[in-house]
Amino acid sequence: MFEKVLIANRGEIACRIIRACRELGIRTVAIYSEADREALHVRLADEAYCVGPGPSAKSYLNIPNIMSTAVLAGVDAIHPGYGYLAEQAHFADICASHGIKFIGPAAHTIERMGDKAVARETVRQVGVPTLPGSSGPVSVDAEALAIAEDIGFPVLIKAAAGGGGKGMRIAQSRDELGKALQIARSEAETAFGSPAVYIEKLLEQPRHVEIQVLADEYGHIIHLGERECSIQRRHQKVVEEAPSPAITPELRQRMGEAAVRAARAVNYANAGTVEFLVDREGNFYFLEMNTRIQVEHPVTEAVTGIDLVKQQILIALGEPLPWRQEDITWRGHAIEFRINAEDPDRNFLPSPGRITLLSPPGGPGVRFDSGAYSGYAIPPYYDPMFAKLIIHGRDRQEALVRARAALMDLLVEGVRTNVPFHLRLLEDEAFQRGELSTDFIARRNLVSAS
Amino acid sequence: MNLDPIKELIELISNSDIDEFELETEGFKVAMRKASAVAQPVPVLQPVEQAARAPEAAPPPADGLAPPRDDRFVQITAPMVGTFYRAPAPGADPYVKVGDVVEVGQTLCIIEAMKLMNEIESEVRGRVVEILVENAEPVEYGQPLFVLEKL
Repeated sequence: MFEKVLIANRGEIACRIIRACRELGIRTVAIYSEADREALHVRLADEAYCVGPGPSAKSYLNIPNIMSTAVLAGVDAIHPGYGYLAEQAHFADICASHGIKFIGPAAHTIERMGDKAVARETVRQVGVPTLPGSSGPVSVDAEALAIAEDIGFPVLIKAAAGGGGKGMRIAQSRDELGKALQIARSEAETAFGSPAVYIEKLLEQPRHVEIQVLADEYGHIIHLGERECSIQRRHQKVVEEAPSPAITPELRQRMGEAAVRAARAVNYANAGTVEFLVDREGNFYFLEMNTRIQVEHPVTEAVTGIDLVKQQILIALGEPLPWRQEDITWRGHAIEFRINAEDPDRNFLPSPGRITLLSPPGGPGVRFDSGAYSGYAIPPYYDPMFAKLIIHGRDRQEALVRARAALMDLLVEGVRTNVPFHLRLLEDEAFQRGELSTDFIARRNLVSAS
Repeated sequence: MNLDPIKELIELISNSDIDEFELETEGFKVAMRKASAVAQPVPVLQPVEQAARAPEAAPPPADGLAPPRDDRFVQITAPMVGTFYRAPAPGADPYVKVGDVVEVGQTLCIIEAMKLMNEIESEVRGRVVEILVENAEPVEYGQPLFVLEKL
């Protein structure tokens, strides 16, 4: 067992990891920025060290300070959470060179799946369906045009070093292609340090359905079913659910097997997620693989009964996975609502400030994962998400009813939140029927003033 | 601020027949009113000017503590996480001692992080008044290391 683990993150996920460590009897070391002195994860951890000023680049991304803290505190392992250093292969390498276990896959796995063009090609070669598109980055505009005409417009130009919905441009026709490529390359360079872009066919009203995989360090890989994450604003997920209303058991099996093949192709270890787009005919296409624990992992935990973060730690310890694929069953329906400090009436402008009252809902099937508390001042430097509300019910209908009740029981005063948006979403008939797609919010015109 | 004179004043007024009392002087004002049903007066303290002049306006402490921290004093804080060392090598003389005068850019200490020695330099010209960390102690980002009196 690890004696001490450092959590290289903040907010609700840091609290989540601390909880898993506590359950396993592991001492926790938190890191924090000067803006996070009052943060909940700092209060919950056994030890806490300041690693920099407010801005993330100087604190939560400050590898020298974080590693220095890890060495001085004598930790055995580091859990990177999600975002920040979770998918920085060189950070995983640095941990290894210090004899500190990085709780996640190997550095070269992160690297391979981190380059989106390489990932696409890697999984294609093991028979995972991919969207028609370029087999690698497109260097010459003429090549891009030939590919686009071959697969048909509209096409999506994506940053090879990007991911998470960032660094994408649409070209509707050959006239738009040249300019779109130029802008996409420039944005990619600025945001991700590399101008390499690749091209994919743009699907019409697809669903975003992802498969959770779990792999131990002995090559045993299973999947834990899907999550539907089509409700997105500006490519950022807002609501996620499991199972997907559109996925039949047969499709689940095929997608699950494809996800496991993708993971095996890169010798995956630990928890990961393979993202797919599903079209209206039920065809699925590989989008990307996220080599980390995800924000929405609790919906999978709810329907499978498996503690994913504890499993991550156990896998990193060298424990074999205790389940075969046939042991995995799903029960009921779960929906997660991200609670963000945003003003839905002003285009979701971030709304940092002091939460004067926070009273979470409770009851059967209601889980509230939060990094906030009454009196806590949300700093302006970070993601506006401060909590997640996860509802579990016998079926989707019960989950919807329970979600509405829980959202109304949730009291947050002092900052604006997107809770009114979630309540509006629950009233939408298409949402109630499960008719989801990645353009849902815009299509259903849910981003209007209340 | 020193509350002793005020405590004496409250006691004096309490024990007298005076029902209401107000005193205003440079730096502060005090007003007291006895509630008729209550034996003790209710003091209300209202400092007049704000912090900018406060260090000069405050009465000198009676008990000889270190001088109040004001603009004359500068804290040098750790710009990184690591181990604090007072000297360039074990057994060598420390870079600075209390009482030394240091120049801008002069090395005050080393913070070692992962086998790399980083020299921490003074941002001001001043006298070392206090060294807040022990040799070989781990330090966090922002942790105060030295107090210098600006010269």
